[in-house]
Amino acid sequence: MSNNSGYFELFGLPRKLWIEMGALEQKFLQLSWKFHPDNFVNATEHERELSLQRSSELNDAYRVLRDPVARVEYLLGIEGARKEGEHKQQAPPELLEEVFELNESLDELREAKASGGDLAALKARLESAEKNFQQKLGEVDEQLQSAAREWDTLQGNGAVRKKIMAKLNDLLNRRSYIRNLVANVQKELV
Amino acid sequence: MGRIVGIDLGTTNSLVAYLDPQTNQPKCIPGPYGSTLCPSVVSLDADGTIVVGEAARRRLLTQPERTIYSVKRLMGRGPADIQDELKLFPFRIDPSSKNVIRVKLGGKLFTPPEISAFILRELKNWAEAHFGETVDRGVITVPAYFNDAQRQATKDAGKIAGLEVLRLVNEPTAAALAYGLHEKQRGKVAVYDLGGGTFDISVLKLISTTEGDIFQVLSTNGDTHLGGDDIDNLLQAFVHELILQHDEIDFSPHGEIAQELRKSLIEVKHQLSESEAATLRFALPNGTVFTHEFTRGALDALIRPVVDRTMRPVKQALADAQLKLADMDEVVLVGGATRTPLIRRTVQEFFDRRPHIDLNPDEVVALGAAVQANILDQGVKNMLLLDVTPLSLGIETYGGAVAKIIPRNSTIPASAQELYTTGVDNQTGIDIHVLQGERELAKDCRSLARFTLRVPPAPAGLPRIEVKFLIDANGILQVGAKDLRTSEQHSIEVQPSYGINDSEIERMLEESIEYAEQDFAERQVIEARTESEAILAATAKALANHQAAGLSPEERARIDASVATLKESAAGSDYKLIRKRIDELNHATEHLAELLMNSAVSTALEGRKLAEV
Repeated sequence: MSNNSGYFELFGLPRKLWIEMGALEQKFLQLSWKFHPDNFVNATEHERELSLQRSSELNDAYRVLRDPVARVEYLLGIEGARKEGEHKQQAPPELLEEVFELNESLDELREAKASGGDLAALKARLESAEKNFQQKLGEVDEQLQSAAREWDTLQGNGAVRKKIMAKLNDLLNRRSYIRNLVANVQKELV
Repeated sequence: MGRIVGIDLGTTNSLVAYLDPQTNQPKCIPGPYGSTLCPSVVSLDADGTIVVGEAARRRLLTQPERTIYSVKRLMGRGPADIQDELKLFPFRIDPSSKNVIRVKLGGKLFTPPEISAFILRELKNWAEAHFGETVDRGVITVPAYFNDAQRQATKDAGKIAGLEVLRLVNEPTAAALAYGLHEKQRGKVAVYDLGGGTFDISVLKLISTTEGDIFQVLSTNGDTHLGGDDIDNLLQAFVHELILQHDEIDFSPHGEIAQELRKSLIEVKHQLSESEAATLRFALPNGTVFTHEFTRGALDALIRPVVDRTMRPVKQALADAQLKLADMDEVVLVGGATRTPLIRRTVQEFFDRRPHIDLNPDEVVALGAAVQANILDQGVKNMLLLDVTPLSLGIETYGGAVAKIIPRNSTIPASAQELYTTGVDNQTGIDIHVLQGERELAKDCRSLARFTLRVPPAPAGLPRIEVKFLIDANGILQVGAKDLRTSEQHSIEVQPSYGINDSEIERMLEESIEYAEQDFAERQVIEARTESEAILAATAKALANHQAAGLSPEERARIDASVATLKESAAGSDYKLIRKRIDELNHATEHLAELLMNSAVSTALEGRKLAEV
C-alpha cells in the first residue's frame, strides 16, 4: 500500500509481471543476509529499528512478488489502477445461471443437513459444480497470464496501457469471486 | 556484559546450553544432580523459599498443594481458555483471576510467567556456576505454534528472571539448527517435535549460499495443547477406571495418590519404549497391591488417538510449503515423547524414510538455542535463520468478520499497513481489534489486542491514519500509526488481551530477586576464596618439604611473589582477580609439584596442579 511502492525496485526489477523465480530467490537470500535483525542485536537502537523496517519490507516484497496473483494486484495498486469490484457479491453476468444453481444446491444441502435428509446425491451435485468452477478458475489464471504477457511487451502507449490494466483488474475481481465461491462449497462439503 | 546462553523452557523439563568455543559445538550444562534436565517443577517451601527442578519434582508426591508442574500450558492464556486443562491438571487457579491467571502455591499467588521465571533463574544459576561468570542474556525457545500472547508471556518470564531475551526461537527451528550444524544437512527437512505438552511440525529448506548457510522455514503447524502429557493422561484415566472396577477405590485425579500413580505409569511407559511388556505394581490405600501387565500393543492402542492428532498438522504444513512427500529429503524427531515406538513407526511410514534421532531428543532444542545465541552475540557470520509466523494476523471488520492482513507462514519480520478514516463528523476515536488465527469470525480467533486510535476532530472521511502492524523476529506484534495529513507518528500502546504490563513485570522482577537464594557475585567470591585457601595451604605444605630444595632461587622467588599477590586479592571481593591469581600460583608451582612426586611418575603427571598432588 501507500509507502511500499518499491517492491520491484527493492529487487532491482522492472515493473514487469514475468519474474524468474530462481533469480528472485537468490536476491531475497542475498538481501536477507544484509538486513536481517540478527545482524544488529548489538547495534544502536536506531540501527535495530532500521533493520526491522528494511527486513520486514524485504519479506513483504518477496511474499508478494513470488505469488503471481498478488504480484498483479500489487502492480495495479502502485499504478493506481486497482479497483475492487464495487458490487463484490455480484456474479459476473455470464456466470449468473451457474451461480444461481450452485446457491440453490448449497441451500438444499444445508436444509438436508439440518433435517437429516439424504446428503449423498446433493453432495455429488455440489462436487461436480465445484469441479466446474475450479476449471473456470484455471481459465481465469490462463487469461491473467496472457494479459500479463501483454503488459510485459507493452511499449509505453497510454491508452493501451490503461486498457490492459483495466483487463487485469477485471480478471482479478473475477478470480476472487470464483475463489470465494469454491471456498464456500468446500466448506459445506467438509 | 555477562555470558549468553540458550534455554529450552519446556513443559516437562527445561535445559540450558552454550556454544563451546573450543569445539564450536553446543553443549548442555548439567545441574547439581548431574543431569542436564531440570524438571519444570516449582515448589514453594513452608518457610517461603522457592525450590525448582528435581527437588521440587520430589515434592509433587509429598506437598502437591505447594508444587506446580506443566505451567507452560498456562502461559499467555486467560481464565476462560483453560477450563479443559483444569479437568486434567491439578492447577490451583485463584478464583478471582480476571484477565491474568494467578496460581496458588501454598498461600501465595503467582502468574504463570513468574513461575516460569523461577525455572529460568534456576537454569541461569546452573550456567553461572558452570562458567564462574554472570549470565545476563539468553535465547529462549518456544513452540512454533505459540501465539503472540504465549510468546509475550515467555519474554516476560525472561525479564522477571533478570535475563535480557535476545530472541525467542521456535523449538523445531532450533532443533534444525542443531542438526544442520551437526550433520551438515541440506535440502528440505521436516522437524516433528512432540514435547511434554506441545506439538510442532516445521518444514525447512537448508540452503548453502556464498555468504553461508540459510535455514529457511517454509511452513509450520501444530497444536499447543498436545504432547506426552496427553499420553500420560490417557494411561492414568485407563488405570483409574481399572482400579475403580477391581478394587472399588475412586480417588481424585489430582491428589497425592494420583501423582504417585502417574509417576509409576510414566516409568511403565518408558519401559515399554525399550521392551515389549512391563508390569505396573501400585500400592493402594487399602493395603493391597494393584498389578497390571501392559504390552506394547495395548499401549499403542491406547495412545493411537494422540498420535493420529499429530498427522493433520503434518499434512497442513506440507501443503502450506507447497511440497509433496516425495520432495522431502530428511525427517528429524525432537522431544522426549518421540521415543515412543508407535510415534517413530508412524512418522517413518508417513514420510517413507528413517527419521533422524542421532541427537538426544531432550537436548536438541536447547543445543539449537545455544547456536542461535552465539549467532546473535557474534553477529551473523555464516548462518542465518529465517522463520515464519505460525498464525495469520487479522483485524476485525464489520459484522464480526476478520480481514487477514498477514497470512500464516509469512517470513518474519513481516508487516502490513491499513488505512483508516472516520465515519461521522468530529469522531475522535477508531476502535481496532487485532486477532490471530485462521477462522473467519473474530469470535473464533485469538484476541491479541484492542485499542482506540485517537483522531483529531474533522469532517467524516477526511482523516487518513495509516496503521502499521509489524510482527518482529520473535513473532511478537508491534503497532504504529501515522497521520498521513500531518505525517505525525503515533506510538500505540497495545495492551495485550491476556498480558501483564511493564510496571507489573518490574514489581515481579524485584520480588523474584528476593526469592533468589544468594547473590551470584557473592557466591562466586566465597567459592574463589575457599579455593585460594586450599591452594595457599597446599603451597605452604609443599615448600616445607625437603624436595622444595630442588627449586631454583628464581622459581622460589616467583612462588613467594604469587603467594603474596593471591593473599592480597583474596582479601578483596573481585572473584575474577582471585581466580586469575590462583591460576598464576598454580603455574608458578608446577615445578614444585613435579619435585614432590616420585620421579618415575612425574613425567606422566606433568602439568598437574599442586593442590592435586
